[in-house]
Amino acid sequence: MQRRTFLKRLATTSAGLALTSGMGAVPRNAYAKRKKQDFGEIKSLKVECISETSWFDNPTLGKDIKAAGGINTNQYDVTYNEENLGGYAALIEVEALDGKKTKYLLDSGWSNDWMDYVFQKSGVDKMLQNKEIDTMVISHDHIDHYFGIESTLKHQPDIKMYFPSTSMKKSFELLKGADFSSTPGCPKNAHPHTGELIVTKPDQLYKLQDGAAVVFFDAPATLQVRGENVMYFKIKDKGYVTVTGCCHPGILTLINYARRNFKDGKKNYGCYGGLHISPFENWDPKMDDIIAGVKQYDMQKIACNHCTGWIWAEKAVKAGLPIVPGTDKFLSYKKVGTLAKANTSNVYTGNGDTVVF
Amino acid sequence: MGTQNIRQGWLAERQLAPRWNVWASGLLNLVVLAVTAMVVWWIFFSNGGPLKLYTPLLGFSLVIWVLLVIIWQTEYFDYWPLKRPYLDAAHPLQKGGILTGIALGVYFVFIFGIMFYIIGRYGITYFNWNSLTQYGELGQDVMSTRETTSWAFICLSVPFLWLTTVLMVGGDKTAWPDSLQPGQGLANWLLMGLLSVPLYLVFFHPHIGSMFYPAQVYAAVPPWWKEIAGTNSAEYGLGILFCSVIVIFITLQLWEGRPWNLVKGQPWKFIAVVVGGLLLGFLFFKIQLAVMDYLWDEAYIGGQNEYNYGWRYSHTVTMGNFILVPAIILGTYFGEAFSRLAPWLRGLTMSVLSVILGLLFAWAYYAWAPVLLGVCEGVSHPSENPSAFLVLLIVLLNIHDAFMDKWPGYRLVAPEDLQR
Ligand SMILES: [Fe+2]
Ligand SMILES: [Fe+2]
Repeated sequence: MQRRTFLKRLATTSAGLALTSGMGAVPRNAYAKRKKQDFGEIKSLKVECISETSWFDNPTLGKDIKAAGGINTNQYDVTYNEENLGGYAALIEVEALDGKKTKYLLDSGWSNDWMDYVFQKSGVDKMLQNKEIDTMVISHDHIDHYFGIESTLKHQPDIKMYFPSTSMKKSFELLKGADFSSTPGCPKNAHPHTGELIVTKPDQLYKLQDGAAVVFFDAPATLQVRGENVMYFKIKDKGYVTVTGCCHPGILTLINYARRNFKDGKKNYGCYGGLHISPFENWDPKMDDIIAGVKQYDMQKIACNHCTGWIWAEKAVKAGLPIVPGTDKFLSYKKVGTLAKANTSNVYTGNGDTVVF
Repeated sequence: MGTQNIRQGWLAERQLAPRWNVWASGLLNLVVLAVTAMVVWWIFFSNGGPLKLYTPLLGFSLVIWVLLVIIWQTEYFDYWPLKRPYLDAAHPLQKGGILTGIALGVYFVFIFGIMFYIIGRYGITYFNWNSLTQYGELGQDVMSTRETTSWAFICLSVPFLWLTTVLMVGGDKTAWPDSLQPGQGLANWLLMGLLSVPLYLVFFHPHIGSMFYPAQVYAAVPPWWKEIAGTNSAEYGLGILFCSVIVIFITLQLWEGRPWNLVKGQPWKFIAVVVGGLLLGFLFFKIQLAVMDYLWDEAYIGGQNEYNYGWRYSHTVTMGNFILVPAIILGTYFGEAFSRLAPWLRGLTMSVLSVILGLLFAWAYYAWAPVLLGVCEGVSHPSENPSAFLVLLIVLLNIHDAFMDKWPGYRLVAPEDLQR
């Protein structure tokens, strides 16, 4: 505490004040002072990997992006090799304390061709048609999570939807029925969204039901995309589980957010989804830091895939982190990623796999 | 007297005078600098320009090495092979063109010729991105390998920059003082290079060894600093060494070499610069980290963006450069406006001004650079490293001052004029 007072005094100089204005990416009020939020509990959580293969070959996508001017080009200005495209989506089933089950859909992938295939394979298409899926959460408007929105809306245009406020203008237009498909790999949507739209803003908690919530994080990502909706679940007697699309804010940001803001926030049980550490399988010592960081917390189940990076997951296993092993189910899909084919270590929760928390 | 002159070097002996009053001359020069910087940035670096070298690490590695070459040219080699009569008489534009051409030539020969093509092809894989893609497997594609190699060049530049600075300030060219150029320059350069290599191996090579999967533990020890730094990243050592360089540069610009020149005789002066520079640099580093802790709360192991220890260490360099740029501008373009103040008061006034201007500059950069320079928005964006632009400014300031006599705002005063 003494240190803290010293710091406060130090920063009340004009230097400290000038630094504050306009510099923080995220507004930072003292977490400790904040009242801990309590959004209830659920009995259990089941997550099914509808698809985690956003594209099937890393170098091919890398070349497309490089040709368009690099990773900071607008995602709607890149010409993509259409053969290479897949998408990300997850089906979430919550069992409430009273036993009632509710389904949520996280993201709608990229290629409509691929998404139609995986939705049909997993039965998501029928669930949408029968309105069995209560709500959809768009994690962020990245190519592989959002460009395939038509595949969902054609079955249920009036689905209730959580959508990040930081999304690009074109992404909002796509929701209303725009067509950008003259550029290969860019999306179109012939089924405008007609349901309730909740545009999520930073530092706010959106409760889905008792024990389930969406929190929006304003974090930078590639291709000029910003911000991500993260799903938090609190499982009775176990603790918090996060479900993410890409996890651009960083897994330790999510863990720390829970610790600082939620009741019993120190109980971190697990996570599901992309962790955006090494999507292109290149390594940096900072990724070792993430392993060391996660190890500090008592996570029980880490189900990762998508942009986590195989090599991160493999190293995490070696370091003793509880990575949930996947099955070989993904091999039965009509397309398999070049990396998944080469790697048999099954450290990913692959297409068709289910995890229960 | 003759040897005395040679030891001083042309840069230190040369006398410049503002063409008009100090403020008018200085402001004109500032405008020239700003316009040149924008043009150079858009042509070579910007994400929206033709060459897109701001990846960001490739751009940073380029400007930092060019800066080093310029310092060697002026401080170690005394403008060799150009002769004094030419330096005294040539038009600043012509002189600037030739000297900048030499600097870029040396850069290409040293970095691309020797380090990239020879060492990167036949010695150390990571110094050549093509070698990394050729021999590497998983994840070693063009986009990532270019950043890895650029990062290696940035890492290599830091010990070179630190030793160039401490030898320049602390060494006083007392090593081989009577040799003629280029012998004297070469001897000092070789000494600096020789000392840089072990520093690089200890502080940076372990980082690059762990940039691959599996980690290259037989060639490089795993980062030994991780307990101290809270990260495996070499940004810890980079931050401290770079902050030390920045602080020493500020003492040269604004304090006329104080306190170092109060220490007389060797090896004492050299020791004073090494130890004092590291201490002041470390203090500068720590103060900045404390400010960041206050603004953003403490970082944590494995944190992302501004919560990452490594990012914060790098950010001390960024903010240090934001302060160094106005310090150099004040010193070179407007220094005479403060000449009536007593040296210590002058140093203090200009330092405080530099910090204030530096913070304003940082604020303006983060607010407007996405539009003006085409960089990514956000202080901790992973594709953002303002040091590329800031070091480019320092390079241009050095070219303008050392190679072009601060033309057009200033002019060279002939020795006869001084005697009159
Ligand atoms: Fe993403
Ligand atoms: Fe993704």
